[in-house]
Amino acid sequence: MIVLEIDGLYKKFAGSSDFAVNDFSIRIKQDEIFGLLGESGCGKTTILRMISGFEEPSKGCIKIHGNVVFNERVCIHPEKRGVGIVFQDYALFPNKTVEENIQFGLFRFSSKIRKEKSDKMIRLTGLEGLGGRYPHELSGGQKQRVALARALAPEPGLILMDEPFSNLDSLRKNQMREEVRRIIKSTGATGIFVTHDTKDVMAIADRASVIRHGVTLQTGTPGTIYNTPKNEYIAHFFGKTNVLSARVCEGGFQTPVGFIASDTPLPSGTTQVRLSIRPENLELSDSEMDCVCGNVKRESFAGEFKEVTCTIKDIHGKDIQLIIYAPADHFCHKDTCFIKLKNNTPPGILDV
Amino acid sequence: MAVRFFHKITKWSWRHRRYLNSWTTGVFLITLLISLPLLVISPEMLTPGSEVWKHMLSNLVPVYVKNTVVLMTGVGILTFVMGVGTAWLVSMYRFPGRNIFSWALILPLSIPAYISGFAWAGFLDYTSPLYTFFRQHFQTDTGAYLFFNILSMPGAIMVLSFALYPYVYLITRAYIVRQSTMLFEVSASLGRGPWGTFFYTALPLARPAIIAGVSLALMEVLNDYGLVRYFGIDTFTTGIFAAWFSFTDTSAALKLSGYLMLFVLLLLLAERLQRGKIRYADTSGKYLSEQRRTLKPHAGLLAILFISLPLLAGFIIPFGMLLYWSAQTMELFWDQQFWQLIRNSLTLSFLAASLVVVIALLIAFTTRTFPLWVIRLFAKISTLGYAIPGAVVAVGTMVPLLWLDHQFISLSLTNKYLVTGTWIALLYAYLVRFMAVGYNSIESGMQKISISMDEASRSLGLSIGNTLRKVNIPMLKYSMVTAFLLVFIDVLKELPLTLILRPFNFDTLAIRAFEYASDERVAEAGPAALVIVLTGFVPVFLLYKFMEKKVYDRT
Repeated sequence: MIVLEIDGLYKKFAGSSDFAVNDFSIRIKQDEIFGLLGESGCGKTTILRMISGFEEPSKGCIKIHGNVVFNERVCIHPEKRGVGIVFQDYALFPNKTVEENIQFGLFRFSSKIRKEKSDKMIRLTGLEGLGGRYPHELSGGQKQRVALARALAPEPGLILMDEPFSNLDSLRKNQMREEVRRIIKSTGATGIFVTHDTKDVMAIADRASVIRHGVTLQTGTPGTIYNTPKNEYIAHFFGKTNVLSARVCEGGFQTPVGFIASDTPLPSGTTQVRLSIRPENLELSDSEMDCVCGNVKRESFAGEFKEVTCTIKDIHGKDIQLIIYAPADHFCHKDTCFIKLKNNTPPGILDV
Repeated sequence: MAVRFFHKITKWSWRHRRYLNSWTTGVFLITLLISLPLLVISPEMLTPGSEVWKHMLSNLVPVYVKNTVVLMTGVGILTFVMGVGTAWLVSMYRFPGRNIFSWALILPLSIPAYISGFAWAGFLDYTSPLYTFFRQHFQTDTGAYLFFNILSMPGAIMVLSFALYPYVYLITRAYIVRQSTMLFEVSASLGRGPWGTFFYTALPLARPAIIAGVSLALMEVLNDYGLVRYFGIDTFTTGIFAAWFSFTDTSAALKLSGYLMLFVLLLLLAERLQRGKIRYADTSGKYLSEQRRTLKPHAGLLAILFISLPLLAGFIIPFGMLLYWSAQTMELFWDQQFWQLIRNSLTLSFLAASLVVVIALLIAFTTRTFPLWVIRLFAKISTLGYAIPGAVVAVGTMVPLLWLDHQFISLSLTNKYLVTGTWIALLYAYLVRFMAVGYNSIESGMQKISISMDEASRSLGLSIGNTLRKVNIPMLKYSMVTAFLLVFIDVLKELPLTLILRPFNFDTLAIRAFEYASDERVAEAGPAALVIVLTGFVPVFLLYKFMEKKVYDRT
């Protein structure tokens, strides 16, 4: 079932000549967790605010659970949309306890049912024993659990999260990513979140859209976007990569570092493409067999692996730099190294 | 043409339909109503004017201008010296009694200038205990008043300055204390002594704050009616009263008000322009409060003397006189009439303060929820009243109310004035005059609440009204109480506006105190004045707490 349906959404702010959001369309299914990814100011938060009703689109149509909440004739107030929101600063009411915060949206129920529902949320979010505390007595992760519990308590069906992990330290971030995914999945709600961190997307999103200057660049599962980014911007945004020119040949591409199999249909007459090859898809070999020779420029230790930078000749014979992730204990004996493509490297064809 | 216009209107209202609702419409109307008295004054300035106005313009206005300018210059200089001097000593140095002085120095704010005025006159007049003492022991005879005739321009400048320097003191101190010690240490390391640091580092640095403080004091000078009237000095404000009551020429009163308002607005604009450049230089590093230097004994003594003078003259002497008179006229406290006065004053203050708080809350919340420039603009205009002298506001309020009454009469709905000269008129004028006091307090409280609180509440299904009720108001309790108290006290001690607009035979504490003093029954003014001053301690205390928090709150 489609929970959220957006068609041709535009937003232009007063006094600005550019569209903050430009022709945004999306369909999000029940139970899905969807990420909106982009740099700050790319329009992703504006999209979230238009879904929740706090910002009015210039044009377009938004349907939630099949009901139109915005089009050229309708604009439903935020309080009538039944959308739960987890704010970036959590926005917990400082003068209310954890329990009162969670019960805030349950005002239509009797106090007995309110209590039942909030107890359920407290158990689900692992806040047992903290119900009587005030927000200032909580840690960052606990605050986020309360914010999530409060938003989920009225069972909104659709929950929006604005930069949910940006206020957490890196240790707690990893923990909360798993927690948030578990909690949302266990309530059966559909989640949409906005982030500038690709790690958030890869950790919890079922699907995601990459947005730049208000335009959707690519939509897909995090794995697809990571391995086969549509353009160089996305490729670099999702982590370190090597962008190489390759010749089109039978059944794949001939790259400077070897052959990559591909069955992606290309426009006829294409003889050359640009590919994104992630550093972990390259490996260093001890022998010259099936390898390309490179000159080692730099080695830097990065904990679980070692980042090796070297130069090779590209298909036109020009020097280009290549980044390779080698095992942390790898040791380059000489200035020369032997580079090989791993098997099953996905073809990340750019700009087709 | 008409069709196209209609089309444009519908298109505009469709685009802005989010902003067209009962909240924005209501607040727009309210702010328009509050701005009205200030807006109606200006057109009157362009009309040619009556014979009375011509007479006033050629004979009286030059005197008003001269006196007002002399008064402002004198008060400007004296409040600058006392305000900045005390602020510098209290924030930079350690000496015996510094902590007490730092809050005692703002006590003069609890005594309205006109009360301070007749208290000082009483302190120095022929029958005062001081004069009697001097006469008996030193055979001093300096005429009707001890030392010099205090009911004069120098006397008025002196008393006004002692009453108003705390504005300069408060703002300057808050500013100096927030500067990083490093600036002063650099100045010292480059070879400047304490005086050099004061003149070349501190004064230029604190200039915006000092000017802001002095402008506040000067606006109070322009607002004052009671003191200049008592001291027999004709200023713009007394001129408005003369035009209104003696010449009964509304147009002339309006014209005078217009020019006075123009003057105040220029002052306000100049102050805003220079303040625009304020930068809190360095907020890192240590604050001055942590590194005060201890003064050597003789320097400490000098500092104490310097600080004691304004405290003595601005608070202890006038307050002492009020106590002295109240003790003499103790029986007044049990007088039926006196309790009626208290009842009048308290009821009026309570109603006005409640009204201001409710409306300020509505305006602040609506501009926050629907940020529309028209509403923001009118919200700004409706808070200008605080800078405008009470007499001007009163005259400006009269114009629309008289018009309204005339409409009622011409429609034969009634044959007497329904609004003018009633509590409604008075409350309306208080709203115009004191809106800013309440609004600023509530608005600053509102700004501390993240907008996502409101959005969280609405996303959880609460309407806008319920969000205000269940989210904003509980979090604004402190700001609302502060706003209420500040307006309450301001109304309690307000004089010129109440004098012009009060219903017939209606007295407040402030009016009675002023009338007793004007009728040479100054001792009987004591109890009423004392009640005003004692209530006035509350906002002074609040103000001090607030400034402290602002100064030391680093986040």
